[in-house]
Amino acid sequence: MKTSKSRTAAALMALGLLAGATTPALASGGGNDVIRSGGCSGHSTWKLKAKPDNGRLEVEGEVDSNRNGQTWRWRILHNGNVSAHGVATTTAPSGSFSVARRLVNAAGTDHIGWRAVNRATGETCRGGLSI
Amino acid sequence: MKWSSMRFSRQPLRSERSAAAVRRPQWARPVVQFVAAGLVALVILIVGSGWLSKRAATDEAITSARETTHLLATQVAEHAVTTDLVDGQPAAVDRYDRFARKRLVVGDVLRIKIWQANGRIVYSDEAKLIGKRFTLDEEELQVLEAGGTDAGVSDLTQPENRFERHFGRLLEVYTQVWAPDGQRLLFEAYYSYADVTRRSAEVLSAFRPITIIGLLSFVALTVPLVWVLARRLDDSAAERERLLVAAVEASEAERRRIARDLHDGVVQDLAGISFGASATAREIADRPEMARRVEALATGVRQSLRALRSLLVEIYPPELRTAGLAAALDDVVAPALAAGIAVNLEIDDTAGVPEDATALTWRVAQEAVRNAVRHGRPKSLTVRVSVHDNVLSLLVEDDGVGFDPSSPPREGHLGLRVLRDLVFEAGGTLAIESSPGLGAMVRLETAR
Repeated sequence: MKTSKSRTAAALMALGLLAGATTPALASGGGNDVIRSGGCSGHSTWKLKAKPDNGRLEVEGEVDSNRNGQTWRWRILHNGNVSAHGVATTTAPSGSFSVARRLVNAAGTDHIGWRAVNRATGETCRGGLSI
Repeated sequence: MKWSSMRFSRQPLRSERSAAAVRRPQWARPVVQFVAAGLVALVILIVGSGWLSKRAATDEAITSARETTHLLATQVAEHAVTTDLVDGQPAAVDRYDRFARKRLVVGDVLRIKIWQANGRIVYSDEAKLIGKRFTLDEEELQVLEAGGTDAGVSDLTQPENRFERHFGRLLEVYTQVWAPDGQRLLFEAYYSYADVTRRSAEVLSAFRPITIIGLLSFVALTVPLVWVLARRLDDSAAERERLLVAAVEASEAERRRIARDLHDGVVQDLAGISFGASATAREIADRPEMARRVEALATGVRQSLRALRSLLVEIYPPELRTAGLAAALDDVVAPALAAGIAVNLEIDDTAGVPEDATALTWRVAQEAVRNAVRHGRPKSLTVRVSVHDNVLSLLVEDDGVGFDPSSPPREGHLGLRVLRDLVFEAGGTLAIESSPGLGAMVRLETAR
């Protein structure tokens, strides 16, 4: 139990530091939706959306690099731990990719993190939101 | 006195096949009774076997659900359980949720829950239940601790089942699974009870035709056999009855012949001797001693004549139409009076009553009174003949020792049975009511 809490705290701290280091995220969305977006370490941008849905959270992460065919490793963090991960490729016409996952809406505030790393260039996108 | 030729012979049979079959109601025939009993048994067997089959099929369906749950739990669900999941780490719960919704909550499984021993729900595909704590009942704790599986209908009033109410009636099956850290968990799967019922119906529909066809075949095969046996019994009974009636008729014919011979011969002779002796006695009145002896002789002859006439009445009745039923019944009850029995004889006017009906009434009264005197040892005896609405009724009632009418007659005591046959064939009814210690009552009703 202690290990889990420590990992969560560390992840949250890292999220805050990184968010401050990159382009400031934009908050928007209607209803119960929470949307954050921002710039990556290169020219790409990221977006993260979360919406409560009957005990779950519909989370969608997106990276837009404007270039097709780039391969990115991505991760969705839930309270600092990896909830889902995978590999995606940007596609036409926008040169972007997005992934959507349903997370269990845990008790209290849920902190969702979004990570994507370009396997070729090492460009990193990091974002997060609380819901 | 002229002796009539009264007969108690039966009417001609409506069928040569069987007298018993002719007069027996259709429902009383053995074949009909067998078929009816067979159909009742068939219905009972179908309903009973249906109930048992349904129960067995339901058990089978529940057993199938238990096996499915055990496989699902031990071969699928358990392998994906992590320590983080048990600890409630949200990301681990997310991962298990995606896994469970894809691999566990499929097919007939409507819901799953994974419990810790303390009642905390580690995981459920109903996300609102995750992390909540409820009380596990004894059976669930038993399975959690000792393993195995158990099943039962869900109690949807329980708070942990509040999200399942919209499913309707559910079957919940639970079994033990293990967490990686060695912790025992309880895996619970919910199925629609409609599926159980459907599976039960499927099993039932497979076996019901076999049951019904088998039973119907049995009845169909046995009915002809029973029909043949029943026909043989009917024929045998009819033959016995024919012999009985023939014996009665022969006996009555013999009685008539003896009575006629006695009446036309010995009785007339004795009457002549009696009259002659009395006349002689008057002629020799001047010789008193001789006249007294002759008159005594005449008196003795007259006494013998009366005794002989009583005997004639006993062995065969006088002409009822001329002497009347009342006179004949007087003779019938005479032995009862002689035996010290109080006799109450009530007779309506039977004028116009057919001779056959009168004769039958006399015959029944004779047999009933004779039985009462010989076997009943009554203190009082009532013989009542009434005519009402074209029905001639006879009641012979005594307060004697009674008997059990349902018990078979003793050897040689077939009087009542013969009477019943005679009455039935004459189109009348004969009721015999008695019980040990409560006297006896014989009631005849026949059309006048």
